[in-house]
Amino acid sequence: MRLDRVLAIARKNLRGLKHDKRTVGFLVLMPLLMITIFGYTFGGDVKNLSVYVVNLDDGSVSYSITDDLRTRETLDVNVIYSQSTPLIDPVAYSIDKVKDAEICAAIIFGQNFTRDVRSATANLKNGTLVPPGSFSVYIDGTNPNIVTAVMNDLQISIQKILTSADFGIRSPIVVSPILVYGQGAEFIDFFAPGVMGLAAMMVTFMLSIISFVHERSGFTLDRLLSTPVTEGEIVAGYALAFGFVALVQSVVILLAAIGLFGITVQGNILLVLLMIFIFGIGSQGLGFLLSSVARTEFQAVQFLPLILFPSILLSGVFWPLEAVPLILRPISYFIPLTYAVEGLRSVMIRGWGLDGIWLQLSVLVAFAVVMLLLSTWALKRRK
Amino acid sequence: MSGDAGKESRVIKTEKLRKQFGDLVAVSGLNLEIEKGQLYGLIGPNGSGKTTVIKMLVGLLRPTSGKAQVLGESVPVKESIAKMGYMPQEMAIYSDLTVHENIELFGQLYSMGSESLEKRENELLKMVDLSGRRDSLVAHLSGGMKHRVSLACALIHDPEVVFLDEPTVGVDPELRAGFWEYFANLKASGKTIVLTTHYMDEAVRCDTVGMMRTGDLIGEGSPKDLMRTASAPDLESAFLNFARRPAI
Repeated sequence: MRLDRVLAIARKNLRGLKHDKRTVGFLVLMPLLMITIFGYTFGGDVKNLSVYVVNLDDGSVSYSITDDLRTRETLDVNVIYSQSTPLIDPVAYSIDKVKDAEICAAIIFGQNFTRDVRSATANLKNGTLVPPGSFSVYIDGTNPNIVTAVMNDLQISIQKILTSADFGIRSPIVVSPILVYGQGAEFIDFFAPGVMGLAAMMVTFMLSIISFVHERSGFTLDRLLSTPVTEGEIVAGYALAFGFVALVQSVVILLAAIGLFGITVQGNILLVLLMIFIFGIGSQGLGFLLSSVARTEFQAVQFLPLILFPSILLSGVFWPLEAVPLILRPISYFIPLTYAVEGLRSVMIRGWGLDGIWLQLSVLVAFAVVMLLLSTWALKRRK
Repeated sequence: MSGDAGKESRVIKTEKLRKQFGDLVAVSGLNLEIEKGQLYGLIGPNGSGKTTVIKMLVGLLRPTSGKAQVLGESVPVKESIAKMGYMPQEMAIYSDLTVHENIELFGQLYSMGSESLEKRENELLKMVDLSGRRDSLVAHLSGGMKHRVSLACALIHDPEVVFLDEPTVGVDPELRAGFWEYFANLKASGKTIVLTTHYMDEAVRCDTVGMMRTGDLIGEGSPKDLMRTASAPDLESAFLNFARRPAI
């Protein structure tokens, strides 16, 4: 294998990209858009859920809870009064709004809520059990995330009121979480490595499958193979060029994630880039290999969802691997992106070095080597 | 690959060269001998096997059976490939690269040094009259210009044998005349040229013509000899006459 010929093929691919401003724009903007949109969508907590509060309570506890809810941004609280004009039944009105999906939840405090809470608290201290003070929440359960957000926010307020000087109830059990890794980490820190792996895979796969189908349909492959360049040198040249593209993209994503969302990289950034480069080589190799069964660019593009969907859903990009159903999890372990994402997270969040990610790195190296060998073999057998 | 004097002057030799794609026999037992410095034309209708022969000679297709030697080496051998130039029927150049980038790529694939590559590129650009379009994207060139870039790419490494597959298809008459001038110059500089064509008026300019039909060589000789043997006024009539005879 001669390095000058490998570099000539790599340079050809990068020069072709350089002249295609639209594709360069896509290569830079696509990952930027991905990290920005996903980061803002998934990265933040649920906010401003529209909630109506109907307060029929004679006492003050319901007011304290409502006021406390307003100190946070999770719920957008509107109190519905019966004195509204025209005169309405606030309970029925609020429940109807939930049914019409105009608001997320209606919180109804009954007339004796404060009295019941105080009586239950006093009896708790005496050791007597009486029915607790209760209020109802009519909630749209279409989105379980919203149900959880509303109920968690209410729990926080209730906890605060009960531990206030007014009631003075302290829980006898306190849990103290000690974060071994990821102190101060937010969802975006978990998510950024996933996006980097996903973008590297998508782009290198797509570039190589389309470029190579084009190379064959335009007969330039025949022309290359009529020169002294070997099949292995062509494959290596492609790998070098598109591995480099994956690297550049990762830097764009990293800079965006650091600049826009303030993520921190705990481990060695060079290790992150090395993993992306190797994974990019493997992914472009997969594209290269599959291009041998696609005759047109249109047929090539059809492979994209076939490869992307299982990778996106089963590799832990959006949620932990533990959330993948047990029956599907074995498939996850056959998807290279799983190892790329896990390895990247280990370096970026846990701050691990080579000794911590040797398994993931080995799998990625094996993936790249196997893809390159298979691509070379596929090229040779076409004669 | 030592041999007698005749062998040394023989640049291309095939023995019972055969290529089959499934049930289709594209080339059946072709025996060919081409001397150094010849302009050899393979003529025949579409599907007669001309391109398949060229592709086997440049190492792009593996023969099903038989032998092929170019410059004394059995093909495909990368050593002899370095001394061959190939211009496929389809222009097969990169439209997303400039003229210079295309020519440079092929020069680099033949491991040419940057100095000799630049010198040769300038010579070729002058020859194909594209010096002014060196930095133009190939996508922005006319069809004729693309053909000339393709020819320059095939000649960048100053090959000893040049294979040109239908080099003048889709080329306007003026450019065709220009191309034949290039071929004559190449031949004058001692290069061996093997080209395919189905334009009979072009084939008469070749030193030797091999007539192909459905994978067989049905006649071979100088255009004059072929016309005389077939008692035909032109090469086209000679071809039709030979087509009625058994293969040689």
